[in-house]
Amino acid sequence: MITVKNLTVKIDNKVILDDISMNIKKGEFVGILGPNGAGKTTLIKTILGLIKPTSGLVYIDNMELDDYMKKKGFYIGYLPQHAIVNWSMPVRVVDAVLIEKVRPFGLFRRYSKEELESVEYWLDMFGVKDKMYSYIRELSGGQQQRVSLARCMIHNPEILILDEPNTAIDVVYNTKMYELLKGLASEKMITIIMVSHDIGAVTKYVDEIMCLNVKLHCHSKTDDVNISTVFKEVYGEDMEIVVHGDGCKNCAINKAEK
Amino acid sequence: MIWDILFRALVVGVCISILLSLISYFVVVRKMTFAGVGIAHSAFGGIALNFLLGFAGYLLPITFSVLASLLIAFMYKKGKMSEDSAIDVIFVFSMAFGVFVLSLSDGYSTNMLGILFGNILSVTRYDMVLSISVFVVGFLFILYYFSHFQIMSYNEELAYISGIKVDRLYYLFWVVLSVVIVLSIKLIGIILVNAFLVLPTLVGLNLSKGYKGIVAFGVLSSILSIAAGISVAYYMDTPAGATIVLAFVVIWLFSIAYNKIRI
Ligand SMILES: Nc1ncnc2c1ncn2[C@@H]1O[C@H](COP(=O)(O)OP(=O)(O)OP(=O)(O)O)[C@@H](O)[C@H]1O
Ligand SMILES: [Mg+2]
Repeated sequence: MITVKNLTVKIDNKVILDDISMNIKKGEFVGILGPNGAGKTTLIKTILGLIKPTSGLVYIDNMELDDYMKKKGFYIGYLPQHAIVNWSMPVRVVDAVLIEKVRPFGLFRRYSKEELESVEYWLDMFGVKDKMYSYIRELSGGQQQRVSLARCMIHNPEILILDEPNTAIDVVYNTKMYELLKGLASEKMITIIMVSHDIGAVTKYVDEIMCLNVKLHCHSKTDDVNISTVFKEVYGEDMEIVVHGDGCKNCAINKAEK
Repeated sequence: MIWDILFRALVVGVCISILLSLISYFVVVRKMTFAGVGIAHSAFGGIALNFLLGFAGYLLPITFSVLASLLIAFMYKKGKMSEDSAIDVIFVFSMAFGVFVLSLSDGYSTNMLGILFGNILSVTRYDMVLSISVFVVGFLFILYYFSHFQIMSYNEELAYISGIKVDRLYYLFWVVLSVVIVLSIKLIGIILVNAFLVLPTLVGLNLSKGYKGIVAFGVLSSILSIAAGISVAYYMDTPAGATIVLAFVVIWLFSIAYNKIRI
């Protein structure tokens, strides 16, 4: 579904991504791990065509991105890292969810019944249906994040790209969200790429893990990864994997913090 | 004769104010008021050039201010650390250049006053026709692309992914703004036209929470201030531009009062 070949990105002559190659199949749920500044967001943006690679290629469904977009219309749901959305816009949740459905003369538009039903459905899935007609700036950070997730889903995307979807979301809902995403990947065959620092969840829910720190250090099935060796390589720190009871499997705690 | 003048002023005023209040919505929502003000002021140099070279018409002023505004818009977009200072430099350069050039021409202070604060007597039939044409084109442009601008203000990357030609629209937006600003100078003047980049949306925000209401109240309040300002200016024999802006500020104060009472 998504093929990346020898991708290198330099910004101001600084190498941000170095010779990344990977192949993600349809319906796969992939987690990207890596320390701050590892280039995770840059990789995602390059796949989305927001950053032009210095060299290398990105193919989606065996097509270049432009051709894919032209052929399929809107088929990629993207959740940017939290802060860059202008939450002070005077729009309601329903407007925000439908904001990518761009229409000529949109000031006067009325939403169709189908559009409203689908907004309601996805807000319900992410547990914020009661906020449908609230203004987005009146929501809490986590609620805003859930609205963004609903926005990603409203177009029935083939691909979902999520940059740290969990940051503002509470512990209890996090679990639900990951389960929902896992379900979307396996049942609806949606390909999901998720960046997260939530190592416990990533190892628990995703099919494949990619460890990134400028270079791609590993890309393998979750079960096959020897997490502590990978972390040593990627984060440059010894990590100890602590397994608690049911609540938190494979939580990683940095030794240095103890 | 006097009715002719008032009529022309009213037509020009209404055309300009509707366009500027639509533009103002995006300027305020994107927190680009400083860039907007910079662009408005940069028209000064272009107008002054006309006086020096003895040209009439809009070709030179519009070219000058479109170029200056594209430069400011470009710097704003690059978002480097110094964007505000860069805008400041262009805007100050343009003002200084205008004053410098004007001082070389005859009638320095009258011209200067006219450019800065407007002169209702100078609004001609031709200005009226031109304002109507620019209004039609600009109005259709902003309305047609309203949801495009909306998503661009929400998150530019999402706009790119939705297949919108973000850069092209962004620069066109500023071109429309600078053309409208140049047209508004005879009536309102370059300093006071800034009021129309901010006040419509501030009034709208006081009266409504949703974008449709904000835009609608913005447009209504600016038409009202034009009408009130021109009438008062006529009866009290005061400068139209200043009177219009004072009327607008009064409307804004009322909107604050309404907002406080409602809560
Ligand atoms: N526009 C830019 N100009 C210069 N350097 C940049 C730019 N964008 C990113 N970088 C650099 O690229 C590197 C990778 O950034 P990126 O945002 O991809 O990291 P990340 O893995 O997403 O980090 P985080 O976990 O903090 O989100 C960083 O060192 C950053 O300084
Ligand atoms: Mg990031």
